[in-house]
Amino acid sequence: MTRFALRYLLRRLVVAYATLLVVMTLLFVLLRAMPGSFVSAMTTPGMTTAQTARLEAAWGVHDPLWMQYLRFLLNYQTGNFGWSPTMHAPVAAVLARRLPRTLVLFGAAFLACYAVGPLVGMVLGWYRDARGGTLALALSLFVYATPVFWVAWLLVWLLDHRLGWLPSAHMVTQFPAFDVAPLPVALDFLRHLALPLLSVAAVGWVGATLLVRPAMRDAARSDYVDLARAKGLRERTVLFKHAGRNALLPVTTSAALALAFLVDGAVVTETVFSWPGMGRLIVTAVLDRDYPLAQAAFFLVAVVVVVARLGLDVAYTYLDPRLSFGGRER
Amino acid sequence: MTDRAPNDGSRASNDAAGAAPAPATRASSRTRRALTRLLRTPLALLGTAVLAVVTCCALAPDLVAPHDPGWVAYVGTGDGRLTLAQSRSLPHPPAFGDPFFAPLGTTAAGHGVLTELVYGARTALLVGLAAALLSSLVGVPLGLASGYYGGWVDEGIQRVVDVLYGVPFLPFVVVLVAMRGASTTNVVLAIAATAWLNNCVVVRGTTLSLVERTYVDAARAAGLPTHRLVARHVLPDVLPVAAVLLVQDAATAILAHATLAYLGLADVTTASWGAMLQRVQATGHVFDAPWWLLPPGLAIASLVAAFYYLGHALSDVTEVD
Repeated sequence: MTRFALRYLLRRLVVAYATLLVVMTLLFVLLRAMPGSFVSAMTTPGMTTAQTARLEAAWGVHDPLWMQYLRFLLNYQTGNFGWSPTMHAPVAAVLARRLPRTLVLFGAAFLACYAVGPLVGMVLGWYRDARGGTLALALSLFVYATPVFWVAWLLVWLLDHRLGWLPSAHMVTQFPAFDVAPLPVALDFLRHLALPLLSVAAVGWVGATLLVRPAMRDAARSDYVDLARAKGLRERTVLFKHAGRNALLPVTTSAALALAFLVDGAVVTETVFSWPGMGRLIVTAVLDRDYPLAQAAFFLVAVVVVVARLGLDVAYTYLDPRLSFGGRER
Repeated sequence: MTDRAPNDGSRASNDAAGAAPAPATRASSRTRRALTRLLRTPLALLGTAVLAVVTCCALAPDLVAPHDPGWVAYVGTGDGRLTLAQSRSLPHPPAFGDPFFAPLGTTAAGHGVLTELVYGARTALLVGLAAALLSSLVGVPLGLASGYYGGWVDEGIQRVVDVLYGVPFLPFVVVLVAMRGASTTNVVLAIAATAWLNNCVVVRGTTLSLVERTYVDAARAAGLPTHRLVARHVLPDVLPVAAVLLVQDAATAILAHATLAYLGLADVTTASWGAMLQRVQATGHVFDAPWWLLPPGLAIASLVAAFYYLGHALSDVTEVD
């Protein structure tokens, strides 16, 4: 058993590593495929030819392509991401500052979505054939269909402009009037976290709902639910404790897909709320033509996704004994 | 009265299937039965209605829109100029009668919001359908091959899918579009380049379960060539799954296009709902011109929801989950 588990783990590791190699190659190709050499993004019209030539030599633009590719692969695998021309700082330092902020926002959003979504899904699946069932499903699907940034604007309008309850930009107050002590700073941070969190969660919960709802239908038809009813348990107990728990399985196995949703959400939400995280960094770096930074930021997001997928995959095989190690069929 | 017609229709098709059990008739009667059941689902009706309205706007925007796209408040389609006071009053809330008529108000440039909305329908529908068709054309055959042949074909295709799943979607599209230019074609290609993965995985799963059925074994034993076996005995049961996926892909593509437009990565010269929202933000009217902010968002949500509704109704009818 353990031998199979080890082999499975090794296989997953190889696939994860191959994924990162492909992402690196993709980034390298994309960088070379754009019009002009990528040094041209860093030059200004005032530069002399000698300065431009020195810049090109420093970035190794004239080396053969295979040499550039190997150097790129080597640098990335040793954690050498280069220098950001717009931030005037090492790329690795910029990323190390940005990544935790994104993880905090989207960790919280993930928890919020998965606290609300499955509960709604259980109720919707249970009362599937009731009069309001279709209406409730239609409404949740409509919510799921709204663009996240638009919902964010509406929430900002309501909670910031109209009611003035929550701040709608940045991660902390820029020039605070309060003392910089741990507690006020933490409260200030939480107040700034509330609106972005609310916008992501306002749309994101439906994903889990849609997964639980069909599973709930199967659970509602099962014998153990009949048994629980026959024992005289309350309807609510049967719904949440007996049927609901079993309907949760598809949610846990598809958390990896939810991860992708959150990465996409990060790009948009961080742009709306000026949240200084990774998603916004990618967009601004691409638009400012800061290619070393954009490349590395993209790569880091891919690393996070790949590592999380690997972790989840391995965790499932331990959590659910029905998924056999080794030759697992999906 | 309303209930009778579909009942009669389905019974008639059942009779037809009983009388002539040839595969073609069986398949067509099954499709007809599924269609009649589909038309009895409220979600499907709602989705079809929204889709019909959007299609009308996309096909003949000049008949539906109150003005042509060049129309400007106060001065109309001529080349008159706005006075300072007039341009200060833009974006203008909904106005009927003097000095101009604009049912949903105007944008900061003086164009009618309803007119832009109607003219944007074509882009939304085009992006959704093109991206969905493209990702189906790539994903469904690969999924079929992967599930049917198994072995190294399966291994190869699934490893590629595994690797590409690790690439985050929106950042990838952002990079791709920023480097290849923000034309609608590029946006569609970028969306389809990642959307086919899901189709491939789902179709592979369905094919795997179908290949183990007795009738496929029987057909194989009878010496049916592979292409005919797949076309006659596997594909008909894969198609409902593919249809559900197609509709869902269209929905996600429209949302992705709107998101890219918001990030400034879509073609702003063609009229589209995402570009409208982007202009609302670019001109700084997000919080003071609700007549301009709300319609594009609602339009996107309605069209995407319509596709979701159709997808759900389809999967209910064909018993796909």
